[in-house]
Amino acid sequence: MTKSMGSDSSTVIERVERGLSRRYRAEKRFRLIGVGAIILSLFFLVILFGDILIKGLPAFSQTQIKITIFFDPERLPLDKLESADFEALVKSGLRSMFPQVRGRRSKRALYKLVSSGAAYELRKRVLHNHDLIGKTKDLWLIADDELDLLLKGDIARVPGGRFNQQQLDWIEKLERDGNLRQRFNLNFFTSGDSRDPELAGVLGSLSGTVLTLMLTFLLSFPIGIGAAVYLEEFLKKGRFSDFLEVNINNLAAVPSIIFGLLGLGVFINFCGLPRSAPLVGGLVLTLMTLPTIIISSRAAIKAVPPSVREAALGLGASRMQTVFHHVIPLAMPGMLTGAIIGMARALGETAPLLMIGMVAFIVDIPKSFNAAATVLPVQIYLWADSPERAFQARTSAAIIILLFFLILMNASAVYLRRKFERRW
Amino acid sequence: MNRIRYSRRTHKQIEYVVKCLLLACALVAVLTTVGIVLSVVFESLHFFAKIPLKDFLFGLKWSPQTAIRADQVGSSGAFGVVPVFTGTLMIALIAMLVSVPIGLMSAIFLAEYASSKVRTVVKPLLEILAGIPTVVYGFFAALTVAPMIRDLGNSLGLEVSSESALVAGLVMGVMIIPFISSITDDVINAVPQALREGSYGLGATRSETIRKVVLPAALPGIASGILLAVSRAVGETMIVVMAAGLSANLTANPLAAVTTVTVQIVTLLVGDQEFDSAKTLAAFALGLLLFIVTLLLNIIALQTVKKYREQYD
Amino acid sequence: MKKVLLMLSLFTLMLLPAMSQAGASRGYIAIVGSSTVYPFATVVAERFGKTTKFKTPKIESTGSGGGLKLFSAGSGIKTPDITNASRRIKKSEYERCQKNGVHDVVEIKIGYDGIVVANAKTAPRLVLSRRDLYLALAKEVPNPDGSATVIKNPYKTWHDVNPELPSTKIRVLGPPPTSGTRDAFVELVMQGGAKTFPWLKALKKKDKHKFKAIAHTLREDGAYVEAGENDNLIVQKLEADLDTLGIFGFSYLDQNSDKIQGSLVDGVEPTFENIANGKYPVSRPLFFYVKKSHVGMIPGIRGYLAEFTSEKAFGEDGYLSDRGLIPMPKSEREHYRKVATELEPVMSASDFK
Repeated sequence: MTKSMGSDSSTVIERVERGLSRRYRAEKRFRLIGVGAIILSLFFLVILFGDILIKGLPAFSQTQIKITIFFDPERLPLDKLESADFEALVKSGLRSMFPQVRGRRSKRALYKLVSSGAAYELRKRVLHNHDLIGKTKDLWLIADDELDLLLKGDIARVPGGRFNQQQLDWIEKLERDGNLRQRFNLNFFTSGDSRDPELAGVLGSLSGTVLTLMLTFLLSFPIGIGAAVYLEEFLKKGRFSDFLEVNINNLAAVPSIIFGLLGLGVFINFCGLPRSAPLVGGLVLTLMTLPTIIISSRAAIKAVPPSVREAALGLGASRMQTVFHHVIPLAMPGMLTGAIIGMARALGETAPLLMIGMVAFIVDIPKSFNAAATVLPVQIYLWADSPERAFQARTSAAIIILLFFLILMNASAVYLRRKFERRW
Repeated sequence: MNRIRYSRRTHKQIEYVVKCLLLACALVAVLTTVGIVLSVVFESLHFFAKIPLKDFLFGLKWSPQTAIRADQVGSSGAFGVVPVFTGTLMIALIAMLVSVPIGLMSAIFLAEYASSKVRTVVKPLLEILAGIPTVVYGFFAALTVAPMIRDLGNSLGLEVSSESALVAGLVMGVMIIPFISSITDDVINAVPQALREGSYGLGATRSETIRKVVLPAALPGIASGILLAVSRAVGETMIVVMAAGLSANLTANPLAAVTTVTVQIVTLLVGDQEFDSAKTLAAFALGLLLFIVTLLLNIIALQTVKKYREQYD
Repeated sequence: MKKVLLMLSLFTLMLLPAMSQAGASRGYIAIVGSSTVYPFATVVAERFGKTTKFKTPKIESTGSGGGLKLFSAGSGIKTPDITNASRRIKKSEYERCQKNGVHDVVEIKIGYDGIVVANAKTAPRLVLSRRDLYLALAKEVPNPDGSATVIKNPYKTWHDVNPELPSTKIRVLGPPPTSGTRDAFVELVMQGGAKTFPWLKALKKKDKHKFKAIAHTLREDGAYVEAGENDNLIVQKLEADLDTLGIFGFSYLDQNSDKIQGSLVDGVEPTFENIANGKYPVSRPLFFYVKKSHVGMIPGIRGYLAEFTSEKAFGEDGYLSDRGLIPMPKSEREHYRKVATELEPVMSASDFK
C-alpha cells in the first residue's frame, strides 16, 4: 500500500473509487441485514403476543345468569346462618324459572348451568345484610364455566358433547328472555386461586409475585453491584480474582432447578424457614439472579473509560470516591439492563420454586413474607395443566397480566436508562 | 491542614468498612457455590453407590425405565449420560445459531444505525421476548412450529418426528435473542466514540468500522453475553419437554427427538417414584455433573477471553 | 449508594424477626403429593375452606415420591399433615416414617383414576386389545414364528400388529418412566397383553424377573413418545395429528370429549360407568395418607377428612365425579368413611406382605 502510494498515487485513487460502489453496496447490505434482524425479532414478538391476546382476552369477560332468588327464612335460620344451605336457594330459584323440569337427572343438569360460586355470593350478601332474609330479588349470578365457554363459541352447540339437548334448550330460552349477559370479569382480579375456572383469580399469585420479587430486587441489586464493583475496581488480578470470576460465571450457567435444591437444603432444612413462603422464594431467586446482575454490571463498569477514573484520581479523589461518584453513575444504564434481564428471569421462573413448595394450591391472599404463597408463573403453569377447558383462557389471561408487569418494569428501566446514558 | 488529615483518617476507616462490605457481596457467590455443591453431592454419592461412575459417564444409553415399586424389576435401567449431554448440546447449538446472528445484528443496528427514538422503543420491546413465560413458547413450539416443520420435512421427503431438537432449538433461539442483543448493544455503546471517529477519518464506511473496529473492541463483552445466553438455553426445561420430548436418543439428526440434562433433572425430581431410588438420585448426579461441566467450560472461557481483552481509551 | 446500603441493612434487620417467628404455628392444613390427586384434593380443599370457618388447606403438587419424602421426614407442624399418592405407600417409605417418628399413618383410598388411550375425534376410533397395545409398544416382543424367544419390536403400523387395525403408523404419546400413570399403564396393559402369550405366562411363574423385564419395557425407537406430564398439550397434539394416540388420565378425556375419543380396550369403551363398574380394565386406585397425631395439633383435619369422604364429594354423584374421579363401590366408600372418622386402623408393618 505504502509502496504503491509512493510510486503512483492516481491508480490508488482509481482503485479506491472503483471499490467505492462495492463498499457502499456492502454498507447498504449490512444495514439491511440489521433492519431485517430487528423486524424478524419484532415479528416473533407480534406472533407470540397475538397468540396470547387472542386466547386470553375472552377470559376478561364472564357470563352471568339472572335468577330470581327468594331468601327463604325457613332455610336461613339466623342462629345458623354461617352454615346454611345457600345452594338450595339457587336451586329453588332455578326450578322456579323452569318449573317443568322433573326427575333427578334433569334437575342435576339444570343446576349445572350455575357456578358453585353463586351460593358463596349469596352467603356473602346475606351475612353482610340480614335484612335480605324474607325478600325476593332478581340477581345476576355467575354462570358455570362450560356455559360461559358455550356462549363464547369455544364449545360447539351440538348435543352429545358437554351439553345435552335439554340443556341447550334451556340456554336458548334464557338467551331469549335476556337472562344471560356478559360482564367484565372483575373476579379475575380480586380473588385467589380456585378450582372452578369461573371463580379463579390472579390476586393471590400476584401478591406472592410482588412480595417475592420485592425481596429479590432489594437483595440482589445492591449485592450484585457491590460484588461487581469489588471485582472490577478493588480486586487485584490474580488467582483469587480468577477463582471468583469462574465461580460467578459458573453460577450463571447453573440450571435454575439446582437453586431450588439449594433453597430446600439450606433455607428450609438448615435454617428452618417455612415452606411455600415468599421469604424463601425471594432468597432463592436472589441467588439465582445475582450472577446475571454481577456479570452485566461488571461489563458496564469495564466499559467506563479509564480516563474518567484517572481524571478523578488526579483531582485528588480517593478510590472509593472515584468509584461511587463517577464510575457507578456512568455504569448505571448497563447495570440496570442486567438487573432487568435478571428480574425478568426471576419473574418468569417456576422450576426452583417447585422444590421449596411454591407450586401449590393456595386460595388465601398472602399478606406477609411468611405466609404461604405462590407466584404468577407457577399459577400459569398449574392452570395450563388443569383438565378444565376454561382454564386455557385463564392461563393466557394470566400471561397477559404477567407481561403487563414485565412491560411496566422495562418501561421504568427505559426511563432510568435514558436519564443516565451517555456516549464517549 | 489538620482538619484534612483528620477527615482523611476517618475516611480511610469508612473506606475500609465499605471495602469489606463489597468483598462480602462478592463472597455471596462463593457461598452459593458451596451451598450448591453440598446440596447435591451427598445424594450423588448415594447414586454412585448404586450405579458405577464409569457407566454413568461413558454409558451411551439413557433409559431410566427402572422399577417404581420395590417388587418390580428394573427393565432396561440404563444411566449413561452421553445421549443426554449430546441432546443438550444440539439444542443449545441450534438455539445459538438462531439467536446469535439475529441478536448480534439487532444490537448492531440499534447501537450504530437506529435513531435514539427507535432504540428506546425497540430495545425494551425485544427484552420482553425474554420475559414471556416459557410455557407460552412451549405451546407455540409444540402446536405451531412443530407441525410446520413436519409438513416442510414431509414435502422434502424427510422423516421428521413431531418432537424434534430442531423445533425446540429454534423456539428457544427466539427466546434468548434479547440476552444477546441487549448486552451486545450496551457493550457496543460503551466502545469509545474516538475509535469510530478515527476509523471514519481513515475513510472506512460505517459497516467496515463496525466489523473491523467496534466489534473487536466489544468482543469480551459480547462473549459474556453469549455465554449467558448459552447457559439460559441449557437451563431451559419447559420448551424442551413440550417440543423435543423426553426420550434420550444418541443422534446427530436435529429432526429426531432428544432430551436435555435439565429436563431429565426436573422430570426425575417431580416423578411418582420412590425418593431413594436410583432414578431420583440420578437427578442429583446429573446436576453435579452439569455443574462440573459448566465449571470447566467457564475456566476455558476465562482463559480465552483474557487473551483477547484489550483496554481502549 | 450509601443510601442503598443503609436500606439493605435496615431491610435485613426487618427480616430477622420474620425469620425467628417463622414456623411457630400453622393455622392451615398442609398437604403435599401426587399431581394426579391434586385436581381432586384441591376441589375438596376449596369447598372445605369456603363453607367452614377453617382456612383453606395448602396443597402442593410435588409428585407422589416427593410428597412421601416430605411426609415421612418427621412429625410436627413443620411437616405436612397429609400426602396424596397415585400409588400405594411403599414398604421402604413406611419404614422411613417409623424411623422418623411418624408412627400413626392412616391410609385412605379415595377412588380410581382411569387411564385411557385416545385419539382425535376426526380420526377413526380404534378397537384395541391389550395384546395389540403390548405388541405395538413393547421394546421386545415374542417372535412371530411362535418360538419362545423375543425379538426387537419389528412392528411399524397398527396393521402389522393386528390385521384388523388400520395401517397407520404406530405413534403413541405417553408419560415418562418417572410417572405413576406410566407405571400403572405398564402394570395393567403391557403385563396383561404379555400374559396372552402362553409361554410368557408360564415364564411369569418360573422367572418373574425375566417376565417383567420383557413385559415392562417400552420401546425407545420413536413409536412411543415420552411426552411431558402436561396432558392438555397431549390433547392438543392429538387434535393436530390424526395418526397419533395418547395415554393420559380419564378426566382429560372427559373434559375434551368433543375433541378426542377413547379407544376401546378389550372391547370396552372408557366411559365413566365402565370404569366405575370395573369393565374397563385400565384404572388405578388413588390414596392419601394422614398423620393421626396431627389431628389435635392442626385445626380442621377432621373436617377436611369428613368433607373428602362425604357422599357429596367422593360418592357416585359427588362433585369429584364431575371432575373425573371414578368412585369406589358403595361398601368400600363406607369402609373408608369409617376409617376417616375414627382414624383407625393405623397402618402397620403387616400391611406390606
